[in-house]
Amino acid sequence: MAAPSAKAGIVACCAFVFMLLCGCTEKKLSNVEYGNQNQILFYGNGDEPKSLDPHLTTGSPDNNIIINLFEGLLSKDHATLEPKPGVAKSWTISEDGRVYRFRLREEARWSNGDPLTAEDFVYSWRRALTPSVPNAYAYMMYYIEGAEDFHTGKITDFAQVGVKALSAHELEVTLIHPAHFFLQLLDHHSYYPVHGPTLEKFGGISDPASKWTLPGNLVGNGPFVLKSWEINKVIELEKSETYWDKDAVKLRGAHFFPIDDQQGEERAFRTGQIHLTNTPQMDIEKIETYRKKDPDVLRVVPTYASYYYEFNVNRKPFDDARVRKAFALAVDRKLIVEKVTKGGEVSTVNFVPPDPAGYQPQVYWQEDVEEARRLLAEAGYPDGKNFPAYSLMYNTHDNHQKVALAVQQMLKKNLNIDIQLENKEWKVYMMARKNLEHDIVRAGWVADYMDPSNFFDILRSYSGNNNTGWKNAQYDQLMNQIAATSDTARRNELFEEANRLLAEEMPVLPLYYYSDLNLVHTSVQGWYDNAMHYHPLKHVYLQQPTP
Amino acid sequence: MLRIILQRLLTAIPVLLLVVTVTFVLIRLAPGGPFDEERAVPAQVLENLNKRYHLDDPIHVQFGNYLFHLLQGDFGPSFKYPSRTVTEVIAAGLPVTLELSVYALLVAVLIGITAGIVASLKPNSLQDYVPMSLAMIGICLPSFVLGPLLILGIGIGLEWLPVSGWGVSPGDKILPALTLGAGYAAYLARLSRGGMLETLSQDYIRTARAKGLSEWRVVWHHALRGAMAPVVSFAGPAVAGLLSGSFVVETIYQIPGLGRFYLQAAFNRDYTMILGMTILFAFFIIVCNLLADILAIWLNPKLRRNLEKSR
Amino acid sequence: MSETVQMQGLAQVEKGRSLWQDAFARLKKNKLALTGLVVLIVMVVLALLTPWIAPYSYEEQDLSLGATPPSWEHWMGTDIFGRDQLTRVLYGSRISLMVGFIATSVALCIGVAWGTIAGYVGGRLDAAMMRFVDVLYALPFTIFIILLTVVFGRSMLLLFLAIGAVEWLTMARIVRGQVMAIKHQEFIEAAVAMGMSRGRIMLRHVAPNILGPIIIYTTLTIPSVILLESFLSFLGLGIQPPASSWGSLISNGVETMEEYPWLLIFPAVTLSLTLFALNFLGDGLRDALDPRASLD
Repeated sequence: MAAPSAKAGIVACCAFVFMLLCGCTEKKLSNVEYGNQNQILFYGNGDEPKSLDPHLTTGSPDNNIIINLFEGLLSKDHATLEPKPGVAKSWTISEDGRVYRFRLREEARWSNGDPLTAEDFVYSWRRALTPSVPNAYAYMMYYIEGAEDFHTGKITDFAQVGVKALSAHELEVTLIHPAHFFLQLLDHHSYYPVHGPTLEKFGGISDPASKWTLPGNLVGNGPFVLKSWEINKVIELEKSETYWDKDAVKLRGAHFFPIDDQQGEERAFRTGQIHLTNTPQMDIEKIETYRKKDPDVLRVVPTYASYYYEFNVNRKPFDDARVRKAFALAVDRKLIVEKVTKGGEVSTVNFVPPDPAGYQPQVYWQEDVEEARRLLAEAGYPDGKNFPAYSLMYNTHDNHQKVALAVQQMLKKNLNIDIQLENKEWKVYMMARKNLEHDIVRAGWVADYMDPSNFFDILRSYSGNNNTGWKNAQYDQLMNQIAATSDTARRNELFEEANRLLAEEMPVLPLYYYSDLNLVHTSVQGWYDNAMHYHPLKHVYLQQPTP
Repeated sequence: MLRIILQRLLTAIPVLLLVVTVTFVLIRLAPGGPFDEERAVPAQVLENLNKRYHLDDPIHVQFGNYLFHLLQGDFGPSFKYPSRTVTEVIAAGLPVTLELSVYALLVAVLIGITAGIVASLKPNSLQDYVPMSLAMIGICLPSFVLGPLLILGIGIGLEWLPVSGWGVSPGDKILPALTLGAGYAAYLARLSRGGMLETLSQDYIRTARAKGLSEWRVVWHHALRGAMAPVVSFAGPAVAGLLSGSFVVETIYQIPGLGRFYLQAAFNRDYTMILGMTILFAFFIIVCNLLADILAIWLNPKLRRNLEKSR
Repeated sequence: MSETVQMQGLAQVEKGRSLWQDAFARLKKNKLALTGLVVLIVMVVLALLTPWIAPYSYEEQDLSLGATPPSWEHWMGTDIFGRDQLTRVLYGSRISLMVGFIATSVALCIGVAWGTIAGYVGGRLDAAMMRFVDVLYALPFTIFIILLTVVFGRSMLLLFLAIGAVEWLTMARIVRGQVMAIKHQEFIEAAVAMGMSRGRIMLRHVAPNILGPIIIYTTLTIPSVILLESFLSFLGLGIQPPASSWGSLISNGVETMEEYPWLLIFPAVTLSLTLFALNFLGDGLRDALDPRASLD
């Protein structure tokens, strides 16, 4: 008993010390150094993606990978965001703006070598609109004639939907009415093509548990292919040999890491384990440090996205517009973006952000504590007396908590009103919001395409994304008019009318426009800041900048 | 001995059944379902999903269904990752968590017991105070404070070791193992010191010393066995602690283990995943408790005799 | 030899009193334990007096001030909202100590009752009761607590109950062991012979004599309860803002460890001091009350 146990103990100790030393002495290249030498990008991607199926996904971590595995009819210029040819090399639009004809490239291929044809797009869009497929973005295809009817089951013959393959490389799309941002939509993942034979091989178009997206099975048409997917560890992409524009692709591969902890992500960046962080928000308190010490890697990019609080207008006292306005006027937004979020966000009294392409919302009111108090008194709660207890709900996240805390204190100080903070996980939060179980709830909307209607449509009376309970016939009418017009000037006029209506009614409490805050290593080239946070890897390459 | 093992294994079955039932009920009580998303999911799609995953069957039918598949070793599909089964996801994360726990246990045992023994040999001297104070610090400093401190000091400050990932860069397993094992090392140090002190004051040790045996032999050969008893009885609950401690450590170091998965699954209402992992954890704890008890009985012949007497 | 027996007999008759006096004398000699006791008393007093002595409000913000290091106006500095940290640490100690004491009391009541009954009655009831404990022991409790908080939301009551429900098991086991050890002692048998009911025996004779280990174990349970609460706070499942506990203060401090180290240091030191104090006190009590007890 003695001799073996003593010896075992000594051996164990030695092994441990050896392990320790191994770590210290062997100094391998960091990921960034290795990547720079081999044109492999290491990417901090936030949550583990739920699915790589372009029709089933809703999260941005998923999307970051999907835009590299697939390509739509059109893509966007990565600097200016203008629509550019993708699979379609040219297109024509009819006089009335409703019929689009796309000419596809003959050299477009799937990653297994199959030629890409117009029929593939018909198949894919049929799949995206099939009622049994859980496609949360199907509504984005409703601009196409017959699409909504097919998706809701009113018609069952897809031939009646306005998308037809005129020949192997000609696709014709007919819209219900002209939509001048339609070309932008075509780069959205819900419009991406999927490979029919692969889907059929793995269970058909509507099997949510299909394995067709796993490495080895997945067939896409983008600049990269899926090499491996280790759950919660890493997703590896490598350059596609069949992509029609493969010569323009300089990267040999990309590794996506699912790092969901803000501090962990920043540490990984600092120690050279990733080239860039791509979660929308980094650790706020580190922003200053980077501004001072390493400003070249800090990217602060205003985005086309809005951060706001939704009122529940079905609940007293928020059914009274004066109370809602009182709240809106009592919050000091500048202080919040300067001292709490610190990310260069733009504080705003408007719900809809200015559109880089043209629409600029006007300002109808300003923060004013006196006026807020007056409105509150007028509504029957002078100095906050008798104000019912209510709560502000937000989903569990540091940054949301910080903003909520600040707003809570401002309301207390300025209006003498006590609010509770309620934080719930994402799922519970989503459900409560949809079922209008909240008093006030935190919300955010990131645009799917660059047009103000993307935001305004949320507040339609019966929109599935309207979580305020606010219904306004006049507003709906404005929305319908906007949808039917293609004249930009007229549209902007109508947008402004809608904006004014929102300022009067205040169904939501606007706070600020999001900024993306990312850390990007100086060796990453071809990564352009833009308002849609659009970063395809096709044009990215690694090169140390010349000093 | 064999009878005891069999008996324990038999009681394990109703325990696991209890675990499954309680967890199942708890999950279903939780608000929010696995398919809630930010963009409104059309009602019809939700219906289809619920039908496909049998979420609209009456609850006892669902439960029976689950048990039936469970007996065949099928934990069901993951709701959060539709193209994976729970078994696949667990198989990806389990080896990682196990490895982390084993290393942490190694750290705890090697450092802790050695420190405790060393301290017990010269009680109330510097040799005693220093390890015991360090042990006290280890007990009072939670892992989520120790971890970031180690990261800051050793990982980022000195740049000796990597600070995230597992098996990606050499040496990236050391800091997590240290962080997780430190608290247990501290506890074991105190336990083994106490056990040693008590054993060393026994008569048979005095006899051994009187016989002229070297101190080394006295400690290793005679005292150690007796001193290990409290340590071993601590091992069972320690495993449960290691498993839950791994949640924190895996989050801090971004390790792709089950701990991180479990938290995500709970927040995502991934029913099948939560059930699968809870059952797995319960199973582990039962097995480890059993092993610890067996070890305790084997180490202490008195216990063995008592056990046989009381039957 | 007969004198010794006589002395032993005398000692036994007075055993009740002299044990405690004896213990207290031993405790007084243990400097570390005394320091622990003093620290603990100071903590509790500060926590109780907090509403009167705290210099600021724990939730009032001063956004333009932001996070500042310790200064004359703010002895422990301020956090990113400009809130005074000293105040928040004081209020945090109220919560953490409250969780510690209440949850431990819950565990104490259930555990002592369970263990005493099982140990004293023995036989089938004992087997059944301890089997139940064994079964519960196997459940991954921390996991259940996480599940419970996720399901039922975050509430203080839930926290107390959940934590108490985890700790009572070991208490029951220890108590049962102790009860079984003294069950056959002569003074118990004497009481039985006198015709005392089982309930009265348990209450008046068994319980006071097992008090020693119970006190020790209680003193050692409180720190692990406080740690469990801070663990839950770290995962985001504990106390809700703007209230604070040591756990949530530390969790927030860890995030900004490099930029504002004082936000981590003060709550961490306070927590550690209290845990030290409790542990040293527990050790001292153990040495004083039961010098030959093996560490458990």
